[in-house]
Amino acid sequence: MTTVLLVEDDPAARQGLEMALRRLGYQVRPAETGEAALEGIGQDAVDVVVLDVMLPGVDGFEVCRRVRRGSDVPVIMLTARGDDFDIVGGLEAGADDYVVKPVEPRVLDARIRAVLRRLAKAGSPAETHGELVIDRGSLTVALRGQEISLTPTELRLLLVLSGSPRQVFSRQQLLDLVWEHDYLGDSRLVDACVQRLRAKIETDTSEPRYIQTVRGFGYRFGPV
Amino acid sequence: MRTRLIIAFIVVALLSALASAWFINLILPYYYSSLPAWLSGVISGPRQLMHLLYTQSPRVPGHAPMMRYPAPATVITFFLSAAAVLLAAIAGMAFAASRRVLLPVRRLARAAHRMSGGDLSVRVEPSGRDELAQLVTSFNTMASTLEDKVAELQRMETRARQFAGDVSHELRTPLTAMTAVADILPGHPGLTGDAAAAARLVRQEILHLNRLVEDLIEISRFDAGTAQLVTDDTDVATAVTGCLRARGWTDVSTDVPAGLIARLDRRRFDVIIANLVGNALRHGGPPVTVTARAEPHGRGSGQLALEVRDHGTGLPEAAIAHVFDRFFKADTARARSEGSGLGLAIAWENAQLHGGHIEAGNQPAGGAVFTASLPLNGDPAITGTVPQPVPAGL
Repeated sequence: MTTVLLVEDDPAARQGLEMALRRLGYQVRPAETGEAALEGIGQDAVDVVVLDVMLPGVDGFEVCRRVRRGSDVPVIMLTARGDDFDIVGGLEAGADDYVVKPVEPRVLDARIRAVLRRLAKAGSPAETHGELVIDRGSLTVALRGQEISLTPTELRLLLVLSGSPRQVFSRQQLLDLVWEHDYLGDSRLVDACVQRLRAKIETDTSEPRYIQTVRGFGYRFGPV
Repeated sequence: MRTRLIIAFIVVALLSALASAWFINLILPYYYSSLPAWLSGVISGPRQLMHLLYTQSPRVPGHAPMMRYPAPATVITFFLSAAAVLLAAIAGMAFAASRRVLLPVRRLARAAHRMSGGDLSVRVEPSGRDELAQLVTSFNTMASTLEDKVAELQRMETRARQFAGDVSHELRTPLTAMTAVADILPGHPGLTGDAAAAARLVRQEILHLNRLVEDLIEISRFDAGTAQLVTDDTDVATAVTGCLRARGWTDVSTDVPAGLIARLDRRRFDVIIANLVGNALRHGGPPVTVTARAEPHGRGSGQLALEVRDHGTGLPEAAIAHVFDRFFKADTARARSEGSGLGLAIAWENAQLHGGHIEAGNQPAGGAVFTASLPLNGDPAITGTVPQPVPAGL
């Protein structure tokens, strides 16, 4: 059963979301504050974090950053305002996706499923692109012989892009393939995830070698 | 104004010269001897000037050397140059005097011009204590009163808008809880009859409230100036069909050329289409059609014209100017519709944000038509794309 760490300070919203998520078949660990959430992550096996941005004390951005330091658990931000400030801040802090409050349960369910979706393991041998080794069998990525840890979203993005080297993917295509968003996804999700992925695999993020920007079109993998 | 002043000055100077000439010619000779010596000396002019202007007559034996003759050339030259110098002096004085009078008037005129242009902070430096200075003081008082009033009105409006935004944000938290559990009630086996109907009503109204709050927050972002464009090259045909499909509007016909690409904020463009079509479906008559085409527009790469037509009775003439007002209802007797009442206002703001506009009107054949005109190639400075060089080899 999927365990959701639900971090929300408002009691009614927390209760409502907890009830809705339980009915959808999730196991829910509610946390009232950022501190409690960080403790919860340390103790239990959590599959996904649903994180309110506006929290007393340690705010959602900071919680997300601290979670990212030690874990690759997917984080979905619950933005109270839906403002660009919250969205951009959350994505920079390392969130995989965001939903705007008030969120309908079926939407939250779809987003949670999308960030948790594991790619089918393929039996093909590991591919080598320059100093990067991508193993679709074990779903691991190594840079210069050292395995690097990627969040499920980052891994999916890398696998989709590297699956067709040199092919240009538009942001919209990537939103569809990686995030499973409808035709109106937020392209900033892609940009933020590309930046995070580059920080992990590129030597020089201003001159990316693996994930290249094709201006006006989108991104492509290589040519390495 | 200045020229008239100078002419008047010169005319007065010439008239006074004429009057003094008459005085010297007609009156003075009779009283010359009775004048005090210094005064007759002043009137007859300095001796040195006399010597310069009149030459002594050639000495004739037996005659006193008293008679003097004017030196014709010298005299004419002297008087001409004296007249010129005098005229220039008079003109200069007139100029200076007019400056003194006109300068405050000019400053006032400039200030009034700036004020009519909307700059209420303008003030004029008062100088002296004449009537003009009083006028300047009154002008300054008027300007500061106006400025205070306008600032007060703006503060009130900002407060009111801020309040609407704050209220909407506050409503979101309880709505989050209500939306999360709204699905539980309808269809619950324990609820029958009125209770089931009530549960359905509650759920429906929670969703309606959601839309209303969402739209209020969106509008308050436009008011606060925090709405941002995130543009991308957008296939218009895909955007239109995607918008209609996502909302289940299957009976709307479209005519959009394939391959029509515009640089738009996809989400905001979707909102424009959805709100225009939603409005046509709710308030117009079927069939509703959506057409789009590129058309030349001024300089630049042209504009996208998106038209949404319905075939109902059309807009009342008086309503056309107000359809984009917030919460405007063309027919006040009409029951509350499922929209928030902000849809067209939001569509309008979104078009403005793109640097375009929306117009409402009626077709000659009947039915309303809303035309959104958006630049095909938006300003790349405000796009969400991170500009990076295109790698070689593609």
